[in-house]
Amino acid sequence: MVFLTICDYSSLVIDTLCDEPGEDGEDNAVACFYFDSSAQKEQSATSVLGALLKQVVSSLEQIPQEITDAFRRHKKFIGGRDLQLFEIVKMLGNVSSAQRTFLCLDALDECAGPDHAKVLLSLKDIIEMSPTTRVFLTGRPYIGDEVEKHFPEGTALVSVTPPTGDIIRYIRAKLAESTTSGEMDLKLEEEIVKTIPETFSEM
Amino acid sequence: MYNGRDFVVADDRSEILAWLSPLEPHLRHNDIRKKRVKEVGDWLLRTEEFVSWKNGDGEGESQKATIFCSGNLGVGKTYIR
Repeated sequence: MVFLTICDYSSLVIDTLCDEPGEDGEDNAVACFYFDSSAQKEQSATSVLGALLKQVVSSLEQIPQEITDAFRRHKKFIGGRDLQLFEIVKMLGNVSSAQRTFLCLDALDECAGPDHAKVLLSLKDIIEMSPTTRVFLTGRPYIGDEVEKHFPEGTALVSVTPPTGDIIRYIRAKLAESTTSGEMDLKLEEEIVKTIPETFSEM
Repeated sequence: MYNGRDFVVADDRSEILAWLSPLEPHLRHNDIRKKRVKEVGDWLLRTEEFVSWKNGDGEGESQKATIFCSGNLGVGKTYIR
């Protein structure tokens, strides 16, 4: 079953940032992370920031010396040590300064409590180190206060309530994708009947 | 591939990237983008908040480094199975 969700909007933003060159004509560095409450193990603050760092570094032609050196140093011990959160944050702050960088995190409310705060604090530190870095966040409205608290210089707020046009486009596209089998028609019909009232109840 | 300067070879590059993180968030992004519907969400890209956040240079009105898009749609899950 398919629904129009906040992730659809996040992925649109991420693609837009990837496709648009920056003001200086250089490519932007774009990194993303989609939280999923069923994957808590993989979304500790260290894992999330590590994943963002990896994406920014992979966009560079050459791996920065700081990271190569750290890799060689850590590899020597006990079969290879992993980075700690503070090391990742420092590296991410440094590599983000080299070009326009966008860090996009979807569904922050699906990240478990303690890690949630660590992720926001880390992002705050990165912006302090690299003031041109931009952070895009989505989540349920109740985490808005916590997000604002972490970014004292201000957070732009947008309420994502799909306009009717989005809902109609979405339903038409999903109808057009359906097969002509009777079973699919029934399922689809059921989905439409369920989706429309649920979506409109958000408005 | 040897770049002649600091011993970073192609194998090292992938090894370093894997050491930074074993996760592959682009896979999820690709799954979601494949199912996206054309023109849905374009309004968001045109909002003043988004444009000023995207083009901001850290000064004046455009100093907001973060943007938070809140919504309840989809019950927070990408796809309900």
